[in-house]
Amino acid sequence: MMVTSLQVVADAAARTIPPAWPLAATVAVNPFLGLAHEDLAHVAARLSRVAGVAVTMPRDWYASRIAAGAISDADLAAALAAADPGTRPPSVAALKAAALQPEPPPVALATVADFAAAVSGIDWPAIVADRFGNWAAGWFDEGQALWAAPRGPAYAAWRAVATHDLTPEILGLRGFAGTVAAAPEHANDALAQAVAYLGVPPAALSSYFHALLTTLGGWAQTARYRRWCAELADGDDATITDFLAIRLLWDMALLTQYREHIAPDWAATLDVHAAPLVPTEAQAVDVVLQEAAERAGQRELAATLAKPVARIPDELPLLQIAFCIDVRSEVFRRALESLDGRIRTLGFAGFFGLTTLHCRLGSDVPEPRLPVLLNPGVVSRAGGAGDRTADIRARLDVRVTRAWERFKLAAISSFAFVEAAGPLYLGKLIRDALALKAGGARADPGPQLEPDLDLATKVGMAASTLRAMSLTGDFAPLVIIAGHGASTVNNPHASALHCGACGGYSGEVNARLLAALLNDPEVRAGLVAGGIVIPTATRFVAALHDTTTDAVRLYAGDHTSPADDAVLDQARRWLAAAGVLARSERALRLPRDDATASVTRRSRDWAQIRPEWALAGCSAFIAAPRSYTTGRDLGGRAFLHDYDWQRDREFAVLEVIMTAPVVVASWISLQYYGSTVIPRLFGSGNKLLHNVVGGMGVVEGNGGILRTGLPWQSVCDGEGLAHEPLRLTVCIAAPRAAMNAVLERHPDVRALFDNCWLHLFALDNEGRMAWRYAGHLLWEHEVINDLEEFSLVVA
Amino acid sequence: MLYLLPSLAPVLAVVAAAVGFGWNERLPRSARRAIEVLIGVAVGVALAVALALVAAGPGTSPLLGRDGFGLSVRVDVISATVLLLVTFVGWVVTRFAITYLDGEPGQGRFLGWLCLTLASVLTLVVAGNLILLVTTWSITSLGLTQLLLFYAERPAARRAARKKFVIARISDMSLVAAAVLLALHFGTGDIATIDAAARVGGGGGLVTLAAALLVIAAMLKSAQFPAHGWLTEVMEAPTPVSALLHAGVINAGGFLLIRFADVVVQSPGALAALVMIGGFTAVFGGLVMLTQPAVKTSLAWSTIAQMGFMMMQCGLALFPLALLHLVAHSLYKAHAFLSSGGAVERIATFRRPGSAAVPSLAAVGRAFLVALALYGLIGGGAAALLRPSAQALALGAILVFGIAYLLAQGLADAAPQALTRRLAVLAAAAAGGYFVLHIAADWMFGNSVPPPPRPGPLEWVLIVLAVISFGVVAVAQATFALWAYHPAAAGLRVHLSNGLYVNAVIDRLTGGWRRRAQPHMAVV
Repeated sequence: MMVTSLQVVADAAARTIPPAWPLAATVAVNPFLGLAHEDLAHVAARLSRVAGVAVTMPRDWYASRIAAGAISDADLAAALAAADPGTRPPSVAALKAAALQPEPPPVALATVADFAAAVSGIDWPAIVADRFGNWAAGWFDEGQALWAAPRGPAYAAWRAVATHDLTPEILGLRGFAGTVAAAPEHANDALAQAVAYLGVPPAALSSYFHALLTTLGGWAQTARYRRWCAELADGDDATITDFLAIRLLWDMALLTQYREHIAPDWAATLDVHAAPLVPTEAQAVDVVLQEAAERAGQRELAATLAKPVARIPDELPLLQIAFCIDVRSEVFRRALESLDGRIRTLGFAGFFGLTTLHCRLGSDVPEPRLPVLLNPGVVSRAGGAGDRTADIRARLDVRVTRAWERFKLAAISSFAFVEAAGPLYLGKLIRDALALKAGGARADPGPQLEPDLDLATKVGMAASTLRAMSLTGDFAPLVIIAGHGASTVNNPHASALHCGACGGYSGEVNARLLAALLNDPEVRAGLVAGGIVIPTATRFVAALHDTTTDAVRLYAGDHTSPADDAVLDQARRWLAAAGVLARSERALRLPRDDATASVTRRSRDWAQIRPEWALAGCSAFIAAPRSYTTGRDLGGRAFLHDYDWQRDREFAVLEVIMTAPVVVASWISLQYYGSTVIPRLFGSGNKLLHNVVGGMGVVEGNGGILRTGLPWQSVCDGEGLAHEPLRLTVCIAAPRAAMNAVLERHPDVRALFDNCWLHLFALDNEGRMAWRYAGHLLWEHEVINDLEEFSLVVA
Repeated sequence: MLYLLPSLAPVLAVVAAAVGFGWNERLPRSARRAIEVLIGVAVGVALAVALALVAAGPGTSPLLGRDGFGLSVRVDVISATVLLLVTFVGWVVTRFAITYLDGEPGQGRFLGWLCLTLASVLTLVVAGNLILLVTTWSITSLGLTQLLLFYAERPAARRAARKKFVIARISDMSLVAAAVLLALHFGTGDIATIDAAARVGGGGGLVTLAAALLVIAAMLKSAQFPAHGWLTEVMEAPTPVSALLHAGVINAGGFLLIRFADVVVQSPGALAALVMIGGFTAVFGGLVMLTQPAVKTSLAWSTIAQMGFMMMQCGLALFPLALLHLVAHSLYKAHAFLSSGGAVERIATFRRPGSAAVPSLAAVGRAFLVALALYGLIGGGAAALLRPSAQALALGAILVFGIAYLLAQGLADAAPQALTRRLAVLAAAAAGGYFVLHIAADWMFGNSVPPPPRPGPLEWVLIVLAVISFGVVAVAQATFALWAYHPAAAGLRVHLSNGLYVNAVIDRLTGGWRRRAQPHMAVV
């Protein structure tokens, strides 16, 4: 076999691993990203083989929902009808009977390390994970160890360490350091050599590689992230295939030592790797049950959307406020709109169309505050020439703290530190135990584009963002652009609570940039030509919605425009009142919380592992005019994107929505799905045991595999699941033909719908879920039941 | 009867433990509240004990038992101080754990063992009699084992617990043997009487042997090389366990030596061993810590190093300083563990202003000179006032080394002037704090423990050796960027980052990587 074709297989295997962003700014990732060209049944077969996991809930979860009536016979029948006729159970009765039959957990095909463990009694897979993690943690370290591990290309760096590390030898792997020293200098050659030595036939390669990369867990996913970033910038990164070569060398060394005992078993395993994937009957049943659970959820959503609601009569808007589509905004928007008929809210992706690479005050580190699917388009920095002094002071403060921190940690000086300053921690312990430290950092000065853009570009940016928001007329005197972020302490996963559309940072920078752009008189003048007339009296103000406390901070000081301060004061009162309402609603859902005051306190409590529920429960994405959803309680479970197809020329906005926000929402929804259903593989484990490595990730306990995805405590309150694992239901108010056209142009997006990673519905003119996308560009008319029955369901 | 007051603290903790065990699973609001209040009241008790001590002076409660053996409570400045420390850290950790384990199925069980371990430590620190001391020494360790095995299904947790169990039992046996020897020699189990008798009566064969056994028990308890391995694996239990270690569990070794200071100083050999092993552990732990990329692991290595330093202070017979170190380190490290979740943000913050300025050799030299001058200036004043021992003066060298490191960062050529200024102020404040605390510790504890003996030839050798090796490491640390990334240092880094393989060897010997049961494997 040629090395080059081996590389192709290795690269393809790397593609099956989802990328994982470092925790400093992390975003939700679809854990099935590299597998979305297959449907759930085939992925079930694949992951059962390579990782030993089931990709649906245990049978009793479905059985109990069927017994409770949450999943109706109609749901089961509909799911059955939609399933592959070749593999589906013969009847609803058979399906229900199958739901009562527990399935044994799947078992992964063994690696050489597994076989070696079986014959030696030494836990080789754990040792490989421990040794690999021990090296990788140092290699990825972003600043924890004062004596950092050497960098450089992964394979070479690993070899330099592994040739010195005596641990494998001590634990019983004879001559491992020597084996590594004798291994080829280049990862590609090592890969080829190991594959030949292990006797892997070409047909088994991709499955075996996938299995090996899976044993590396989050390390492989972080390597995949590096490749993702490199490819976005039209480059390449070999870290993940280097990791594969390293893992192969371990199997090779173990085979050498235990060959006589395991060779036949190993050969047989390779044959299974080479066999084509066929979902089992049980897996087909699981998939139908999952589909039925989703149909049950859709039935409830359809009822909510079809139910007539009492409306506050519309008055001329006094305040328009745009939020991120994030499901957490839904609660707050509903609360806000319930206060006054002069308030209008909008939903749009929280980066507000500005793909900025931002440096905060006193920082040289550019932060990509944009969706991870995109490349940055503009560069910004906190503050301008007038803020130089503040910038220098901020740097100095951090540098002094950093020097003190090093004094605290360095060899020898740490002893002096304890005896000079240790008792000060008495005060710190009291402060943190009682959560006395005030939350909320000082705001940076307003961001400025650097370099500033020419007027035409600015006008173009402003126009496209307003069009995409369907906000091109009827401007209120005050328009607030509200990004969002979360405030938590002592939380390694803090950035996961921020805005995903802003790359895992909080959204105030993008909001402030947009507000500044839209307040610029020259930009406004330029917009008129495109038919967007912003009244002189209209003022844009940026804001930050704190999703943990539901406080909204306004950045009114950014602009000195002739403002109507009465309107601003009114807005402040409304926002405060909405915050109270939103907190009360959320307090009901937060575990062991009985007062809305304690919701705020959670954000300051260093022991709190569930400061907020984030996007847990997310189940629907609705792109429609807000009037379709106003006054309907969507329970903080729906992404809401404003969209008016009648104003969408050539469906350009529809195309953007279906290819960007919908895809991002699918990443979030499927991350929750993966972390809930397959926590061992796609969840980051137990928060009580998290040990932050290198400032970039967590391991559980002492070390081993890097854990990515959501912590178990983020999807479970300890007794029940906080997230119902359902694939996202996407509802779009647009003509079906227009949607088909978009799907035809974007095969990757179409694969998500055709393989049921997402469900798609077309809303009719009354906002009802009238048409269901049935795959292959076909649509089915949904029977909208009469309203009587719906109210029963909702009750 | 006033001297019985401290016994209220462990009683409260036992009641809190009973509440936890009573529910065993998730705690209702009332139980959570009750546990926190009970431990909170224990802090109040410790404060009251401190006040009582000021008012009535030290003393021992009446004995429950006979012929000098049984249960009694000792109140003096040592027990009162450590009682305050343990109740306070215990309260912080308990409060943290109640919220942290919210929703965890074993919440009650966890808090039960946590409070029981705490109760055991609280009894240990106020024990007036050998019987009570020896018993609680073991119970503390058994309670900790239960906490380590909170997730008993984790192989790594079992690995750590197994190592710790073996070490703790040897430590128990040493302590029992020491106690028997002391009881035989002095004819009583009363600790204060033994100390007083040892102070006036000097040593003998039995006492020397007892001192050596005490030292062994203490070093094993406080994770001294090569018995340190389990400590770096405590991360297999929830974070509050790591913090709880600093409430008199891991530092019980230091407490034991301070408690029996009068006995321990009778054996120069034991003291020398403490200096050597403690000093080595301090340097070893400190170096390994530098290489650790995981925050809690790094903190655990730091604890090993700090315990080594405390042991070395005991070996130099600087007991007041050892007690200061014990208290100061516990406060700092309990906080560090509980706040370790902030590591992501801390590291991101420190990256923002760009990389740190690397000091040149000349800058490091200047820093050491300035630190030495600072030491001479402030320390000289203190010395004139206090007439410190040679040991204490030598230990002051670590301050010079530490301050020099801080200053060197400010004196790097690329560092802006404002940074240099502010770091100089910090360095002066640190030096001031160091001396003030040392004077305070001497003033508070100096009368309760024997003064350091006049150094003989052996002591001088050890002192010089300690200062030189600490100095070498300090210079190496300050000039770190200049050599650490040289290829020749790569192997050293690998060996150090693995703790010189002590854990690997012990794991091999104790079967730590054995598979307990055959896992499911695909049948092919």
